[in-house]
Order: sequence, then C-alpha cells, then structure tokens
Amino acid sequence: MQFQKEVEILAPREKVWQFIWDVDRFIACVPGCKEAKTIEEGKRYSATMVEKVGPFKVEFPTTIEVLEREELTHIKAQASGADNKIGSRMKLDLDVNLREQGDKTILGFVAGVDILGKLAALGHGIIKRKADQVLDEFAQAVKTKLEGDR
Amino acid sequence: MARAMTRHSEAQSIPVSFTLNGRLHEIEVEPHELLLDVVRDQLGLTGAKRSCDVEVCGACTLLVDGRPVSACTTLAFEVRGRSVLTIEGLAEDGKLHPLQQAFIEHGGFQCGFCTPGMILAAKALLDENPNPSEAELKHFMHGNICRCTGYKKIIESIMAAAKKMRVKA
Amino acid sequence: MLRRFRLEEPQSVAEVSELLGRFGESAKVYAGGTELLLAMKEGLVQYERLVNVKNVTGLNEITVTDGSVTIGALCTHHQLETSAALTEKLPALKKLEQNVANVRVRQVGTIGGNLCFAEPHADPGTLLIALGAKLITEKSSSKREIAAEDFFVDAYETALEADEVLTKIQVPVPSANGRSAYLKFGYLERPSVGVAIAFNLNGGVTGVKVAVGCAGPAPRRVAAAEALIEGKSKDEAERNLAQAGAVAGRAAQAISDLHGSQEYKEHIVGVLLKRAFQRALS
Repeated sequence: MQFQKEVEILAPREKVWQFIWDVDRFIACVPGCKEAKTIEEGKRYSATMVEKVGPFKVEFPTTIEVLEREELTHIKAQASGADNKIGSRMKLDLDVNLREQGDKTILGFVAGVDILGKLAALGHGIIKRKADQVLDEFAQAVKTKLEGDR
Repeated sequence: MARAMTRHSEAQSIPVSFTLNGRLHEIEVEPHELLLDVVRDQLGLTGAKRSCDVEVCGACTLLVDGRPVSACTTLAFEVRGRSVLTIEGLAEDGKLHPLQQAFIEHGGFQCGFCTPGMILAAKALLDENPNPSEAELKHFMHGNICRCTGYKKIIESIMAAAKKMRVKA
Repeated sequence: MLRRFRLEEPQSVAEVSELLGRFGESAKVYAGGTELLLAMKEGLVQYERLVNVKNVTGLNEITVTDGSVTIGALCTHHQLETSAALTEKLPALKKLEQNVANVRVRQVGTIGGNLCFAEPHADPGTLLIALGAKLITEKSSSKREIAAEDFFVDAYETALEADEVLTKIQVPVPSANGRSAYLKFGYLERPSVGVAIAFNLNGGVTGVKVAVGCAGPAPRRVAAAEALIEGKSKDEAERNLAQAGAVAGRAAQAISDLHGSQEYKEHIVGVLLKRAFQRALS
C-alpha cells in the first residue's frame, strides 16, 4: 500500500529538521506509538506501535533504520515489526522530504506499508483506511506541535 | 463417560448431558472445546468433517434439536440438554434412512466428503418442509457445498427421498 | 482449536453489564458466536472470558405494539425469517433475514450479535437504517436509544460503550403506503454491496431513506441521494435514480479489495438503488 502526504508547517526548515531528530517528540506524533528509544543516534531507533481496528488490536515492537540522510532535505528510513501474538508483520518504507516555501516548510512523505500475516485477513480495505488515518493524524500532529511552539 | 485427554488443574469443567443419536451421554468439556472436535475425537464419530472451518461449506453439519449447525463453530457445551444427530445415527437397526438410500440409488455422492453434512441438512429440510419446491430446496441447501457432483444428482436424491418419505407418512 | 477462556453465564442484563465493566477488554459478549468464534479461531482476538448472554430472559422476543415491531437482540436470524409478525409488518426485513449467510448461521446467529460485531459485509444494519430503526441499549444503571444510522461508527466499531448491552431493536411499522426493499450483490461468501430504500408513496415519493452497506467500512444513510428523490413524483424520482445512484455510490466509501474495485462497487450501488426502488414499488 502506497501513501503520499504533504503538510504545510508555519516554521522554518531548520526547526522542522531538528524536530524530526528529537526522537521522543517526533515519535509522540505517531498515533499509537510509544516507548521510543535511540539505539544508535541518527541510525537506529526502536518503538512500539499499538493499533486497534474495532476489537482487533496489534502491538508491533518496531525497529526503525535510517538509510539515507541529506541535511535539511531528505530522509529515507525503513521500519519493521512483528506481533507474534496475532501472527502478523509490518513493514514500512518511508521517504521524508522537506522544502522551503517562503516562511513555511512543506513536509512531505511517501510511505509504503505492508501488513503480512493474519491481520491481512481483516481485508486490504480496512487496513489501508487505518494506515491512511494513522499517517494523516501523524502529519497533523507534527504540524500542530511545531506551530504550537512559538 | 468420555473425557478429554488433557485437563489443566484450573480448567473450568462444564458437565454436558445430552442425547446423541438417541442415547443419553454425559460428558465434561472445557468452555473452549468445539463440538466438531468432541464428536470426532472424543466420541469417535468421524462422519462430520472439518473442511472450511469457517461455517461456509457445511461438511461439519450436525443436527441439534433437529436443526442444522456448523459443528466447527459451535462450542461443545451448547448441546447440554439437547439432542444431537450425526450421520452415524441416521440409519435405524441397520436400515438406511430414505435419504441415504436415495443418495445411493440416484448417485448423490462421488467422493463422499460433503455427503454426511449434505444428508443431515436435507433431513432438516424435509422435516421442516416435506414437499419442497426446487427453489426452496436450493435455498435451504445453499450452505452445503459439493465439489464433485455439480449438485444435480444431490437435488434428485433429495427429491426422490422426499417423495418416498411422503408416501410412507 | 480455540485458546482457553472462562465462561461466565449471567442471568440478567445488569449482570452482563457489570461483568463487561469489571473485566473490560479481556471479556466479550458471546451469543451465537458466528462472528466471534471465527475471529477467535483465526487468532485475531483473544479473550480471558466469554460472557454467555443466552441465559438472560426476555431478549429473544418479537413483539408488535402500536406502530412498532420490537425485536429482542437475541432473536436468531431463523426466528426473524419465520416470524409471522415480520412477514406481516416488515416483509423487507423478513426477506433480508431469510437470505443472511446460510441456514446454519441463521440457526444460531443473532440479530444483536450481527449488529454489534459490525462486520462491514453484513446485511441487517443497512435496511434497519433505511427503516429508521432505533437500537435500545442498557448498562448497569441506565438505558438509551441509538438511531441505527448513528450506531455504526466504523468497521467492527459501534457506538456501544464498553459495558453497554444491546437489548432490543425497535422498528417503526411502515404506514399503509410505505414501501421498502433491500437488495444485495456478491459472489464471495459475504455480500459485497447492499442497498436499502424506504419511502411513502402517496401521490409522490416522500419520507425517503436510502442506505448503503457492505461496500465501505460501515452502513451509511445517504441524505444527498434521498434529496434527489424526496418529494418528487414517481416518474421524476425514477428519472433521478441514476444520479441518486451515483451519489450513493460515492457516499459508500467503497474501497478496492477482493470484493471489487472502488469503481465497480460504486457502479453496483447505482444499479441496486434503481432496482431496489422498482422492487419497493412492486
């Protein structure tokens, strides 16, 4: 499943870039994400993703790896996790882009999400909607956090 | 008295007293045990089959109080105080039920895997409606799937049995 | 093989509610089990306790009072399809119930369980919305009514609170000139698209309610489609059906999946709306 999101943030690019690497605050913007930890600064992180669709709950202990990094412009990352209780795996390929537009920063990301295993039995449609929701909320939370601190 | 092979010391045990193929049985089951497993594994009646395991195909059909249920998705304790009929209980004193006879005479089965469920469902149909139209028969039997016959012979078998059973009655 | 759980067998709605409140997410209401047990077999959900509600009395009756049919949440689909009251007063609902799943699911599955599990590919919710049904719920100390059109929040998610129990479904009996129909379509085990329409035919077409289900995450009433038919003459309403169908299709929030592409489902919604209107008239 592919998703593309863009959000306009009333904040300078440097501030947004810094925010991204402030792991605790950044992870706090992802709905259902908790216990963010830095394993290797700038390279590897871990977090736990908890998502619910009705009565179906998943908990993915997730490892995030930063693959590419271009200062103030671009991040390429990969995340993966498995919920052994429910027999499902999650894979996320993320491309984050920042560009300036006057006094605003456009934060864009392209996400490729794959859910494998039993959870897929819920149906592609349901999962896609949920993933879309999560990414939307995430983008909004980042915007709100950054614009709120002024 | 049938018992399961393994029991946890803290397991919740539910006494189930029920009539099985006309005879009273008293067993104990844990809440999570499925009727199909109890009937096949504990009671040794393997006519009912586990096929789709999601209540869609009808191969696990049993009659509880004369009504068809998916044994694969029925908790065993639910038959307490009820009567259960499996395919093994259909023939009386070694004499085949008209439905069984008809399936043989009219070629209503090939591999036979769906057949126990098919015959039990047909019995429930004819008990409810001794003279069904083909449309009524198809609607009732819609939930029993056969991969071999293409259904034509099944319909013929059931209609033939229905006729015989109406004459007898 | 299911994972072990403890069986609770309360005797009253208050007890059910108390158990749900006490044990929270580790407990679940269990009635017919036709949806719940499947999810448990798949390993998609796990519960420490199942609360068997079938010993609670008074929840499996169908009663007709002035102007409405009240259906107990524990009524099985089989009870509903064979109910004389439904045949007489709510024939569209009787027909729907006759075609739910298969004869075995209808035998043990309950209308309450169907509505509360809120599986997207289900039939009853869609028609109950079009019929203006109210869902009566109870918790330990209080009762409330939830309109069917407000009950389905999302896929597998209803407006029920954690310790709240659905007890009855109240359906207004249509007037003498009331017409309604539900049509569904699908080749897989569960329906892919379901459309319900209800209206009064007295000169023109009034009191229109249109609902679409199965194609999206939850059944939805489509006011925008209703507006295109409301108050029109029968002929004008018929002419507007194509547009109403397109509007209803888009409102379905259809997602492309094994049941069909988004465009296909939207198209089928339009087809079914037209046919349902004709069926309701006949």
